[in-house]
Amino acid sequence: MLFSSIPFLFWFLPCVLIFYFIAPRALKNTVLLLSSLFFYGWGEPEYLVWMVAAIVMGYVFGLLIERFRKKNKIAKLLLALSVSGSLVILGYFKYCDFFIGNFNAMTGLSVPMLRLTLPIGISFYTFQILSYTIDVYREEVAAQKNPVDLAAYVALFPQLIAGPIVRYSHIANQLKERSHSFEKTALGIRRFIIGLGKKIMIANLLGELCSIFRESNDKSIFFFWLYAVAYSLHIYFDFSGYSDMAIGLGKIFGFSFPENFNYPYISASITEFWQRWHISLGSWFRDYVYIPLGGNRVSVSRHIFNIFVVWMLTGFWHGASWNFIVWGLYFAFLLTIEKLWLLKKLKRNGMLSHVYVIILVIISFVIFDATGMGQAFSYVQAMFGAGGYPLISEEFLYYFRSYGVVILFALIGATPLPKKLWNRVSATPAGGKVVIFAEPLAISAMLVACTAYLVDGSYNPFLYFRF
Amino acid sequence: MKKYKDMICVAIVGLFFVSLTLAVWVLPSKEFSHSERRKLAQLPELSYGAVKDGSFITEFESYTQDQFPLRDTFRTVKAFLTYYMFRQPDNNGIYMEDGYAAKLEYPLNEKSVNHAADRFEYIYENFLADKNLNICFSIVPDKSYFLAKQNGYLCMDYEKLFTMMQERMNYAGYIDITGTLDITDYYKTDTHWRQEKLTDTAAKIAAGMGVTLSGKYTEKALDYPFYGVYYGQSSLPLPAETIYYLTNDILDGCKVTNHEKGIVGGIYDMDKALGRDPYEMFLSGPLSLITIENPNCKNDRELIVFRDSFGSSIVPLLVEGYSKVTLVDIRYLRADYLDKFIEFNDQDVLFLFSTLVLNNSETFT
Repeated sequence: MLFSSIPFLFWFLPCVLIFYFIAPRALKNTVLLLSSLFFYGWGEPEYLVWMVAAIVMGYVFGLLIERFRKKNKIAKLLLALSVSGSLVILGYFKYCDFFIGNFNAMTGLSVPMLRLTLPIGISFYTFQILSYTIDVYREEVAAQKNPVDLAAYVALFPQLIAGPIVRYSHIANQLKERSHSFEKTALGIRRFIIGLGKKIMIANLLGELCSIFRESNDKSIFFFWLYAVAYSLHIYFDFSGYSDMAIGLGKIFGFSFPENFNYPYISASITEFWQRWHISLGSWFRDYVYIPLGGNRVSVSRHIFNIFVVWMLTGFWHGASWNFIVWGLYFAFLLTIEKLWLLKKLKRNGMLSHVYVIILVIISFVIFDATGMGQAFSYVQAMFGAGGYPLISEEFLYYFRSYGVVILFALIGATPLPKKLWNRVSATPAGGKVVIFAEPLAISAMLVACTAYLVDGSYNPFLYFRF
Repeated sequence: MKKYKDMICVAIVGLFFVSLTLAVWVLPSKEFSHSERRKLAQLPELSYGAVKDGSFITEFESYTQDQFPLRDTFRTVKAFLTYYMFRQPDNNGIYMEDGYAAKLEYPLNEKSVNHAADRFEYIYENFLADKNLNICFSIVPDKSYFLAKQNGYLCMDYEKLFTMMQERMNYAGYIDITGTLDITDYYKTDTHWRQEKLTDTAAKIAAGMGVTLSGKYTEKALDYPFYGVYYGQSSLPLPAETIYYLTNDILDGCKVTNHEKGIVGGIYDMDKALGRDPYEMFLSGPLSLITIENPNCKNDRELIVFRDSFGSSIVPLLVEGYSKVTLVDIRYLRADYLDKFIEFNDQDVLFLFSTLVLNNSETFT
């Protein structure tokens, strides 16, 4: 079920809120668990069993690892079994066909593809379970004795299908005890509806433009750039909008989820970009792959190796296709160059460094969105005039006119400017009084606008569902 | 202060959300949307199979969209946001120019145009080629022909379409009617043209067929507001229009037979005039096969018109020159069965199709 859908907003969510707030404290997690299972099963009931199996595995291994913590070898073996079990399930669904395809290409054999549908959110919940068992092994958290609480953590519908990747250590205490208040609810409502607006009124419209471009027979160099900019903004508003909705819902239910985005497009280096983009994934790889590999406290060559391993895996996490791996390695290359010598230079070149980041990130997302490496190369070539396309085309002119204002809104919205302006107005005595009523009215207006787009049945897929 | 602000926020947004949710839950379902001219999705039946194959979920989502309270108002809000906030030139492919709502018809679908030409050629070769018939064809431009290019909207390559059809239909004489038309000859909220503005166009077609028309009619207004198909699709509060129709003694004396239902009536179907699409008052709307018999005709010439819905309003203006006119819509009647219903001998034959249909001819049989 999509957050940005009428069944979720006006059927599922009100029911969950009613049951949740009338339930006694002891049953609140049960309500969340049952509603999360319903939420997950709504789209793909057959995959519920895999998620439940993953939860059961995580629960049992968590207890066993804790039980044998003092016998390090057994605990290590149990951890290895737990991690490999989770990765086998993920690998089976997500990567089998990739490996079969490459095996066939290398050997000339024709091993049949499995053509499995990827269970929604499997990459996210697998990583959450991994972090839980690893943290138990590291004695950073105690194993959860209550299966309902652990299952509620893994399956928690606000963050189940698209993150942020909430680590068990983040919310272990909140699972046991959390408070609900007007302040949190108001914050949650604001955050959720702003996220909904980002998704429906910006990301979806830009997604339409990207679809139009892909199907166009009237491409031009400018049209390639329009698409590349639109896609970069689309993926940001799509994913950060979804994270906002998740964080907002979490607040309403009394949780504090970690932030996932922090205006990445204002970054002055790729290093900074990745500190601001999909923060929960970056920190997951840092803590569970990069640091265990030795991080930066090793020789330069080993450090570079570590960076490439982490970014290859980051790319591979996003999808079982070579363009995702190349996308990850592309960032590994850029981050390595920055770490070795460019970072200091970038700090001295304010505007230029922003242009550098924007152009390289835009190119990265063209690779990311490609159907394969062939298309990725041809698109990037075309952007720089090497594809034999004209500079401008009739369709470019029309769609630039059609989506120019949306892109302008998106460009402004991708910076902290609107928030700063709002805070400045709120800080004045007169502004503070106006905001008391203006804010809820603006939020309600945004809900009306989002509902209007949903009722009209416009374009509404969610990008990160495939991860 | 902040505490009050949060409470007010929760109260206002919460009240709005609760009200809307209650309306979603409580209001009864509607069967039909008059503005969109379509049946609305109903609550699907819950079954294990429907849940498992995903059809329940898809249908439930359609149901929640279709049955949303104040659906038309929300669609209007969306249209306003599209046109006025995001300054997008079209909403769901419908654009407004000079008060006219028109559909983006882009690009030229050459495959479709060739398919249409193939089907016409099939009809010619199987039923017409071995007879010495007067065969003509004409193409009705859609509104975008007059509005799109000069106002910066995407549109099909009309010249290419006209050229393609002329090259493919070299067995028929081409009657170019584009010069007799302008945008004011069309309804503002509908796809179609206005019958009362078509006398020149009808005269041009008739001349092309070798027939002379007197073109004397009395103009009558339908006392019923007309909201065309683009009214619902644009979702904008466009004003109602009036349908005018032309009558004279010849038209009043004509007998129209609907061969689908075996019903005999007149040129104008007043029951349809008060129905969901008042444009269907012209020859009872989309029908596979109808004949118009004109007892007041002074000759025995007959005409067969292969046509789409644009033909419904202009063919009555050609009736004066013929004792019998047969209208065939090959979207609803298979072309290979034509000789089971029509006896081809020495009739005049006219192929009259709009650019919209030629560019979307998948339904031609």
